[in-house]
Amino acid sequence: MTLRILTVDDSRTILAMLHHTLSNAGFEVLQAEDGKQGLDVLMSHDVDVVITDINMPVMDGIEFIKNVRASGQYQSLPILILTTETSQDKRDQGKAAGGTGWIVKPFDPEKLISVINRVVH
Amino acid sequence: MSDLDDFKATYFDECSELMNELEEQFAAIENGERDADRLNAVFRAIHSIKGGAGAFGFSGLVGFAHAYETLLDYVRDGRVEMTDDVVTLCIRANDIVADHINAAQTGEELAADYGAEEKQRFDAIARGQRGDEDEWSGEIIEEFDIEFTPVRVELAVEEEPEAVVEAVAEAEADTFEAPPMPAVPGHWEVRFTPFRQLYSRANDPLLLFRELGALGEINVKAILTDVPALSDFEPFGVYCSWEISLFAPDLTEAAIREVFEFVDGDCRIEVVPLGSGVAPAAKSVAAPAPVAAAPVVAPKPADLLALTEDEVAAAPAASIAAPARAAEEGAGLSFADLASEIVAAAPPKVVAAPVPKPAAPKPPAAEAGEEGGNRSVGVQSIRVDLDKVDRVVNMVSELVITQSMLTQQMDENLRARYTELVRGLEVLAQTTRGLQDSVMAIRAQPVKSVFSRMPRLVRELATKTNKKIKLETIGENTEIDKTVIEQLSDPLTHMIRNSADHGIEDPEKRKARGKSEIGTIRLSAEQAGGNILIIVEDDGNGINRERVLQLARDKGLVAPDITPTDEQIDQLIFAPGFSTAEAVSDISGRGVGMDVVLSNIKKIGGSVHVRSWTGKGSRVTLRLPLTLAVLDVMLVKVGESPYVVPLSSIVETMQCSGATFERVPSGGQVLQVRGEYVQVIDVAQRFAMHSTKAADERFVVLCESEGSQKVALVVDDIIGQQQVVIKSLEENFEQVEGIAGGTILGDGNVALIVDVQGLRTTHIHQNAA
Repeated sequence: MTLRILTVDDSRTILAMLHHTLSNAGFEVLQAEDGKQGLDVLMSHDVDVVITDINMPVMDGIEFIKNVRASGQYQSLPILILTTETSQDKRDQGKAAGGTGWIVKPFDPEKLISVINRVVH
Repeated sequence: MSDLDDFKATYFDECSELMNELEEQFAAIENGERDADRLNAVFRAIHSIKGGAGAFGFSGLVGFAHAYETLLDYVRDGRVEMTDDVVTLCIRANDIVADHINAAQTGEELAADYGAEEKQRFDAIARGQRGDEDEWSGEIIEEFDIEFTPVRVELAVEEEPEAVVEAVAEAEADTFEAPPMPAVPGHWEVRFTPFRQLYSRANDPLLLFRELGALGEINVKAILTDVPALSDFEPFGVYCSWEISLFAPDLTEAAIREVFEFVDGDCRIEVVPLGSGVAPAAKSVAAPAPVAAAPVVAPKPADLLALTEDEVAAAPAASIAAPARAAEEGAGLSFADLASEIVAAAPPKVVAAPVPKPAAPKPPAAEAGEEGGNRSVGVQSIRVDLDKVDRVVNMVSELVITQSMLTQQMDENLRARYTELVRGLEVLAQTTRGLQDSVMAIRAQPVKSVFSRMPRLVRELATKTNKKIKLETIGENTEIDKTVIEQLSDPLTHMIRNSADHGIEDPEKRKARGKSEIGTIRLSAEQAGGNILIIVEDDGNGINRERVLQLARDKGLVAPDITPTDEQIDQLIFAPGFSTAEAVSDISGRGVGMDVVLSNIKKIGGSVHVRSWTGKGSRVTLRLPLTLAVLDVMLVKVGESPYVVPLSSIVETMQCSGATFERVPSGGQVLQVRGEYVQVIDVAQRFAMHSTKAADERFVVLCESEGSQKVALVVDDIIGQQQVVIKSLEENFEQVEGIAGGTILGDGNVALIVDVQGLRTTHIHQNAA
């Protein structure tokens, strides 16, 4: 069973690196450039894990997570917050909104995979 | 390795877009538009630049961007006010960021303290706004530095087995970041009581147990004492907690707590040492399971209750074992292999979740899902490598030319005989045109990308010259071919510098002249037929014609006995090496200015014209082709050689026999056209060739150059109209006065493109010489 991961980030560089790392690891990768697009993808695709940036135009990561959790369908969807913020508050905001865990940028491929494996069955 | 290079290329692309965005935002911010959206956009741009830089280990850039970002963060949440001083500092900071990016791109080293001063100012401003300095930048930056293990995205490359193994080992050590606590060998008990929000954030006790199982031998016991009487039972209540006993030599409390990192605050965790280093006796005994007591509690508590350490441990053990084994063997480990093992190992262990999952109706995976997981969704635009677009543009250009050649082959005779073919060719012509327009539209970009860099240039110039200058931009959304836009930046910069330096007067002088103290430079773009006009106007001094003429005479550009018209004098500022600044200023440079504008614009098939009104200002107009790809031309013959004249500059053609030439005292000829006298240039004579025809069998091509100045070119023959692809003469040969470029005709011959404007102005020099 191939796990499908939705990556949401406004940086093409980060999206490309996530895509490379994740698809090499055998995951199927979907991409969105902001929270709004992310929601659109979720509407039309069955996704196993979400990795999302916080600072994005149009709809930021916090709003995105809140929206995802607000829909009953996705209460058990693991959402990982991708963030460079080492300060606690962004992470806390993300978590309060419903984030499952977080990944600190820049990420090691192994660490990224291990964090994903932490939140999926 | 090439993957990493690809990412870097993407990153640098992105950076240049973000820097443009910053320019644009700051242009507005300078004008006082300091709303939250803008400040957020600025923050995000710097944030993204920092994020990517971290991934590639550009530590200088990260350090600087981090300090800058922190300031911006304070600005956007209102802790720091965006005063003009802060704006100036930010603009300076943008330059430093750009320098860092450049340095990273070219691989050069910036001084270690580059931007240190600005960084300190960020810190000072930000610190001024907050009381608690202790957790301020120093610490954060330091912490950030630690995370800078460059991402090893190239792990799949097989040539570096050692490095790979090392990385794996490192990553493992890293995974649990165990702080250096005194290792308590032994036996721990973990009491884990999840709160409801743990589930609402999609965390799952089973996964936590799996992770604990990876640390050592575990035994999980469910505590169901909190389960209420059925009458008080809430369907979504959380009533179950667990006690986990854990054994592993050298297992630290920190390592255990690390497992609960994501659920910190969402549960109660007690980690109690059980003392001695004795392994728990019960190895595979299922936990005493009071299953019957709570058959309705949660959908599948039984699964969890029955979990043994073996089961729990199995999945992660497999995943951890893979890298460990490889590390031991020292074998080259492909990252892809590693990852697929991890992934493969996980699914078999999927046990029904202990949480009441609001049955996520999972539609059968979209069939399209099989195509490789490479789908980008929600796309209104796509990014295409410019090379690919260029290839299409070139091919379409060739197609257009072939098509027009075909059309030319159709003489009356053929037309009469093959009506169907003719109709087909007409449709082909139409479709080809449409195709060409559409393809060109792909490469078109708004001039905004160039215009947006100008406000800050003007601001800098105003500061340097102690003048008051405002910039107005009009028609920013006018679209031009990307290749033209790329060539626009330098000429525009020169033109604006020239206006600021020579055009706009000091505030006092302006006042004395009854003008507003603030000088205006207006930058506008508009489409005019097949051309784009870019106009730089100022309301300054205008060109000092006396001085220009004097200088031109001094430099031998104009002969003493010739009296050029005002307009001709104005154009002299484009002559190579011409500079009217009495003292060489560091702004307009050393006489390399307007001639650069001219040569750059000519290179792309455009023309430049200046008009000036003494004391009132001047206007420089760049006339640019919509596209660089094809040019509509008239093919003429001079001697035995074909020449082409851009159709856009031709007013009319006539036979010499029917034209009225007159001699003027200087020895030149003029042509009288409807009462107007037009300068005549014999192209054969001008290019030192021999005309093959008698004087009255030749033709006049009446052209209009910039500023509606007409000029009559005398050629030997007119062959017809067609489209050509422009090839640069400078790139392939060298610059030739009076020639704008070359082209290859359908029959393989090379034809030169006549530069009408150039011919007209060089004619003055010639006469002078």
